Amino acid sequence: MTDKTILSVDNLALSYGSNPILKGVSMQLKRGEVVSLLGPSGSGKTTLLRAVAGLEQPHHGSVTIAGRAIYDAAANIDIPAEKRDLGLVFQSYALWPHKTVFDNVAYPLKLRKVAQNEIVQRVHAALKNLGLDHLAERYPHQLSGGQQQRVSIARALVYNPPVILLDEPLSNLDAKMREEARAWLRNLIVEMQLSALVVTHDQSEAMAMSDRILLLNGGVIEQQGTPTDMYGQPQTYFVADFMGSNNIMTGRIGDIKGGEARIDLDNGISVWGLRRTNAAIGHEAKAVIRVEQARLADAGGHNRTEVDLVTSMFLGDRYEYVFHAGKDLLRSWGTRHEAPGKRWLELPGDAVWIF
Amino acid sequence: MLQTLPRRAVVALLALSVFFPLGLVIYQSVLSGPFFMPAAKLSLESFAFIFDDPDFWSAAKNTFAVAIGMSVIAIPLGAILAFIMVRTDLPGRKWLETPILIPIFVSPVVLGFGYVVSLGPVGFFSVWFQELFGGVPWNIYSLASIIVIAGLTHVPHVYLYSSSALRNLGSDVEEAARLSGASPFRVARDVSIPMVSPALLYVGVLVFFLGFEIFGLPLILGDPEGHLVLTTYLYKLTNKLGTPSYHLMAAVATCIIAVTFPLVLLQRALLKNAQRFVSMKGKSARQRPLMLGPWKWLAFGLILAWLFITVVVPVSGIALRSVVSSWGQGVNLLEVLTLDHFHAVFEENTMIRSIINSVLIGTLGGALAVGGYLAIGLTTHRKNDGLSRFVDYIVLTPRAIPGLMAGLAVFWVFLFVPFLAPLRSTLFSVWFAYAVVWLAYGMRLIQSALMQVGPELEEAGRLVGASNARVSRDITVPLVRNGLLGAWLLIFMIFEREYSTGVYLLSPGTEVIGAQIVSLWASGAVDVVAALSLINMALVGIGLAVALRFGVKLHD
Amino acid sequence: MNTTRRRFQRGLLAGLTIAALNATVGMAPALAQSTADLAAAAQKEGKLVIYGVTDNEQANHLIREFRSMYPAINVEYSNMSTTELYNRFISESAAGSSADITWSSSMDLQIKLVNDGYAQPHKSAETAKLPDWANWKNEAFGTTYEPIGIVYNKRLIPAADVPHSHADFIKLLNTQTEKYKGKVNTYDPEKSGVGFMLVTQDKQVNAASFAELQKALGAVQVKVQASTGTMMERIASGENLIGYNLNTAYALTRAKKDPSIGIVLPKDYTLVLSRVMFIARKAKNPNAAKLWLDFVLSKKGQEIIASKADLYAIRPDVEGDTTASGLKKELGDALRPVAINTGLLTYLDQAKRLEFLKQWNSTVKGK
Repeated sequence: MTDKTILSVDNLALSYGSNPILKGVSMQLKRGEVVSLLGPSGSGKTTLLRAVAGLEQPHHGSVTIAGRAIYDAAANIDIPAEKRDLGLVFQSYALWPHKTVFDNVAYPLKLRKVAQNEIVQRVHAALKNLGLDHLAERYPHQLSGGQQQRVSIARALVYNPPVILLDEPLSNLDAKMREEARAWLRNLIVEMQLSALVVTHDQSEAMAMSDRILLLNGGVIEQQGTPTDMYGQPQTYFVADFMGSNNIMTGRIGDIKGGEARIDLDNGISVWGLRRTNAAIGHEAKAVIRVEQARLADAGGHNRTEVDLVTSMFLGDRYEYVFHAGKDLLRSWGTRHEAPGKRWLELPGDAVWIF
Repeated sequence: MLQTLPRRAVVALLALSVFFPLGLVIYQSVLSGPFFMPAAKLSLESFAFIFDDPDFWSAAKNTFAVAIGMSVIAIPLGAILAFIMVRTDLPGRKWLETPILIPIFVSPVVLGFGYVVSLGPVGFFSVWFQELFGGVPWNIYSLASIIVIAGLTHVPHVYLYSSSALRNLGSDVEEAARLSGASPFRVARDVSIPMVSPALLYVGVLVFFLGFEIFGLPLILGDPEGHLVLTTYLYKLTNKLGTPSYHLMAAVATCIIAVTFPLVLLQRALLKNAQRFVSMKGKSARQRPLMLGPWKWLAFGLILAWLFITVVVPVSGIALRSVVSSWGQGVNLLEVLTLDHFHAVFEENTMIRSIINSVLIGTLGGALAVGGYLAIGLTTHRKNDGLSRFVDYIVLTPRAIPGLMAGLAVFWVFLFVPFLAPLRSTLFSVWFAYAVVWLAYGMRLIQSALMQVGPELEEAGRLVGASNARVSRDITVPLVRNGLLGAWLLIFMIFEREYSTGVYLLSPGTEVIGAQIVSLWASGAVDVVAALSLINMALVGIGLAVALRFGVKLHD
Repeated sequence: MNTTRRRFQRGLLAGLTIAALNATVGMAPALAQSTADLAAAAQKEGKLVIYGVTDNEQANHLIREFRSMYPAINVEYSNMSTTELYNRFISESAAGSSADITWSSSMDLQIKLVNDGYAQPHKSAETAKLPDWANWKNEAFGTTYEPIGIVYNKRLIPAADVPHSHADFIKLLNTQTEKYKGKVNTYDPEKSGVGFMLVTQDKQVNAASFAELQKALGAVQVKVQASTGTMMERIASGENLIGYNLNTAYALTRAKKDPSIGIVLPKDYTLVLSRVMFIARKAKNPNAAKLWLDFVLSKKGQEIIASKADLYAIRPDVEGDTTASGLKKELGDALRPVAINTGLLTYLDQAKRLEFLKQWNSTVKGK
C-alpha cells in the first residue's frame, strides 16, 4: 500500500447464510482515481461496495480508508456506516421524500453539528456547483430523474468524504441521457479530484468513466487493469466474453507454436490465434474475436475463410454483416451495404484469442 | 432500528408482557386451586376434571363444528366476494368497499344481541316474517345458526386476504380464460381463485383458528339451548362448582392454546409462502375489470343480501330495541317508543364512565398502543438476527390465548406485581390487556407500514452520518406517518369493538362499553345493553368515517 | 300478588321516617354515644369501598342518602356479578386487601367467605333488630327480603291459566304441554349460583313436588338462562311465556315500565332471598364499613331499600308493600326465607354439587 492509496480492501469475504457472496476480494483505490466494479449480476460488485460502505457484514478481511481501519475481522474492528464518513450515491438516489432538496443536502451537515449559517452557505455552494441552486425549496418528487441524481450527488459530496461510492449511477436514466450524464459525471469527478468507486454492469460505462476496472465474477476479481488493458488484453475467456461484442466459436486445439495455437472449429474453419489456454492438442477450446476485428477480404489467405453472407443490417453509423459458417452465426462491421452471397472473411491472428 | 441497549430493553419488556400472563395461565392450570391460595398444590386434577366432564367434550365438539363450518361458509363466499369486487365491473364497487368490512368492526356480542332481537323467536323480523308467511323457518338459537352467522360475519376476513392477493394477479390470465369461452363464474372458479390458493389457505387457517376463539356469538345465541363452545364453557366454569374454579378455567384455556398455538405457527409459515406466491405473480399486474354483463345484477344482489343479513338485520334490531320499552308478539312498537334507555345510560355514572373510557382507550390508548407497536417494529426493522426472529414469535403468541383468559391473566398480573398494583383499577390495566391481545394485529399494521420505506432511504441516512436512532427519528418515522395514522384509526375501531378481554378487568374506573355489555347482559339489563350497543356502534362508525375521510385503507 | 295495587304509600312512609328519627333520638344514650364515635372515626377514614351485585341505580339511592348524612365519606361502589364479586374479593384479599363491604345475593358464597374467615363481627342497635335467621354470628347479615316467584306474560297467558302455587304451575305445564313447549324459562343452575341455590332450596322444602316440577320442566323443554333479567326480557317479548324462580323484586321494577309483566308469589310456599352483607376482616376503612352496615340496617336505610331501591325491607318494624311485614300479611306462613347459616354450604361441596347438577340435567334437560 502506497501513501497515495486512499481505500484499501484486503481479502474481504462475505456470505449470506451459507451462501458465499465475496470469496476474498482485495483492491486499492488511489487518491484522485476512479475505479469501476464491473461484473454480471450476482458477481458481488454491489455487495463489495455496500461492504465498504458498512451496509453489509463481511466475516473476513479488512477495509482501510485513508490509513484508518474501518473494518478488520482479525482485530474485531467494525466501524458503523455512519462513522465511516463515506459518500454514497444510491442507484435509486434515495432522496428523502419528506425533505426539500435543501434539507436533503443539509442533513449530513446538521448531523455533524455545523453552524446554521455555514450549512446554508455550504449547501448552496454544493447545489450551485451541480446547477441546482434554483431547486433548493423543491421536494424530490418535483424533480426530473437527472436532477434527482444531482441532488443525490450533492448530498454525498457536501461533507467532503475522502471517497465517494456510486452504485449504478446512470442506470435510472433513459438511454439518451445516460451518455450525456456519463460525460458530465466523469468531468465532475476529474474537476473535483474525487476518489471514486463506481459499481456498474455496463462495460462501456465502466470504460468511459474509470481509470481502472475491476471485473468481478462469482465473488472473486477475475481481472483488473486500465480500460484498454481490460478490453485489449483479456486474460480469461470470461473477461474476453464480458467486454465488447464478440464472435465466439468452439473447437479443438489443432496445433501449438509458442504463444500461438491453431484451433479447428466445429464449423469447419481453422484459424490461428493467440494462445491463452494450457489445453493440449486435441482438447476442446474456444476462439473469440471482437466483431470489429473480423473484416471482409477480397480473396483467400492466412486466417481467411469463405462464409455465406446472409444479410446486412444498417445501424446508423455502420453496417453489420451476418454470416453463416456451419452452425455458427458470425458478425462483422463495415461501412457499406453488401449483397448476400459467398464472401471471404478475415479473422486476423493477433485479434483471435484462444481459450 | 434502535441501538442495542434500548432494543434489548424493548424486547425484554415485550417478552415479559406476553410470557408472564401466559405463564401464569399455564401454571394455574396445573394447580389444585387458585394460585394465590395457600392450599393450592401442583396437580393435574383440573385436567382430569374437565376431561371427565361431558360438557367439555360437547363444547370441544361444537367448537370444531363451528370452526369447520365457519371456514366452509366464509372461505368460498369471501373468495367470490373478493373476485367480484376486485376483478369485475360490478356496479357500485367503490361504494361497497366500506360496508362489506363493517362486520369486522362490530362487536360480536352486539351482533349476537342484534340477532336475538331481530331473528329470535319473537324478533322484529321474525314477527314480521311470520305475519307475511305464517311461519319462521329458522331457529336462531341452534348450533347451525351460530355457525352460519359466524361464517357470514367472517366473510370480510377472507375477503381482505384474497382481494389483496387478487389485486396482484395480472388480468391477462383471466382474459385468456374468457377468450377460451369461460363465463365469469368459471373464470373465478377455474383460474383466479386457484391462483390465489396460497392466500386462501392462509386465511382458511386464520378463520378456522378464529373459530376457536369466538365467544360473543355463542355466549348470547348458544345460551337458551345450552350450546357450549370451549370459550363459553370456560366462562361457565366461573360458576359451575359454585366457587370460582380458576384452575379449571386455566386448564380449558391451556387446551385451547394447545390447538391454537400450532395454528398460529402454521399460519406464519403459510403467510411467508403466500407472499412469495403473490409477489412472484405480481410482476405483470395489469388490471382490467372483467365484464360481467347481465351477471352483475346477480352479483350485486348477492352482496346486498349478504350485507342485509350480516349488518342491516342485527344493527336495525338493536337500534329498534334501544328505543322501545317492550317488544315481541302483540306489542305495537309505536306505543312503546321511549328514550328512557338512553336517559338511563346518561344518568348513570358508570355508564358515562364506560363511554368516556371507551373513547379514551380508543383514541389515547390506540395512539399509545401504536407507539408501543412502533417501538417493537423498529427493533426488528431490517434486522434479521436471532432477536428479531424471537420478537416475531412473541408477537404472534397472544393470538393463541382467548381474550377472556388473557384479560383474567392480566388482572392477576396487576394484582400481584407490587409496583403495578396501584394501576390495577385504572384504565392502564385494560389498555395493557388490549395492547397485548391485539399485538399481532397491530404489529402487522406497523410492519407493513415500515416495509413501505425503501431500505436505501435509511441506508442513505446511515451513510451521511446518522446513527440508527437518528435514522429512525429523522427518516423512518416521518416517512411512515400516514401508515401510523391509519394504524391508529384501525386500532381505535378494534379497541372500541373489543369486549371479552375487559370482562375480568371490569371495576370502577376501568369500565369499557364492551365488557360492560357482557356484564349487563349477564345481569339481564337488556334495555341498557341495547342503548350501549348502539352507542358503541356509533363510536366505531365515527372511527370509520374519520378513517375514510383521511383515506385510510382498511386493509393492507 | 296484585301488581295493579299501588305499591308506594309515600305519605305514610314519610311519616314513618320521622317517627323512626324520633325513635333514634330517644334511644339508649350509650348506644347513641357509640354511634357518634363511630361516625367520627368513619369520617376520619373518609372512604368506603363496597362490592355489590345490586344495580348501581338501586344502590345509588342508599349511597346518596348515606353521603348526605356523612359527606366526608367517599363511597366507591362497584357493581359486579356474584361470582365476579367472590373471585375478586378472594384474589384481592390474597394480594393485600379488598373491599370494606361485600353485598351479594349469592348467599352461599357469602357464607363461605364468612366461614373461611374473611369477615369481622359487628354488633349494634341496628343489627339487633334483624330476625335471628338473618344474622349469622354477628358477621353475616341479611339486608333484604326478596320473594322468589313466577313471572309471566300478561298479554299471552289468560288470567284463568295463571298459576298461584307450585302445584298449579306443575299442573299448567302438564296439561298444556304443547302450548308451553320451549316457552318456559328458569335459572340455569350451572351458570347461576343463585339459581342453583333456589332449586336446592325447593328440593329441601318439598322433595316430592320438586321431582314433579323437574319432570314437568323437562317435558316442556325449559329454557335456562343465567339471570332474572334475561328471563324477563324473553317473557316480556313473548319468546317465553312464563318463568320459574325469578326474583320478583326485579320483576316489580320492570313491571312498572312494562305492562306485559305479571308476577305471582306462590301461595303454598314462597322462597325468600336476602342479600348478605359483611365487613371484610382486612377492611381498610372498618369504621366506615360499620357505619354503612348500620345505615343499611337502620330504619331509614331499610325504607330506602323498600321504597326506592325496589328491593324488600327485611326489618320487621318497617312497613309497606315491599317489606317483610307487608309480605307476611299477604302470604303468612307460606314465606320461606333462606336462613343465613352454614346449611348453605352443603352444596358448595364439589361432589354433592355435581351430583345434583347431574340429576337436574338428566331429568330436566334429558341428557
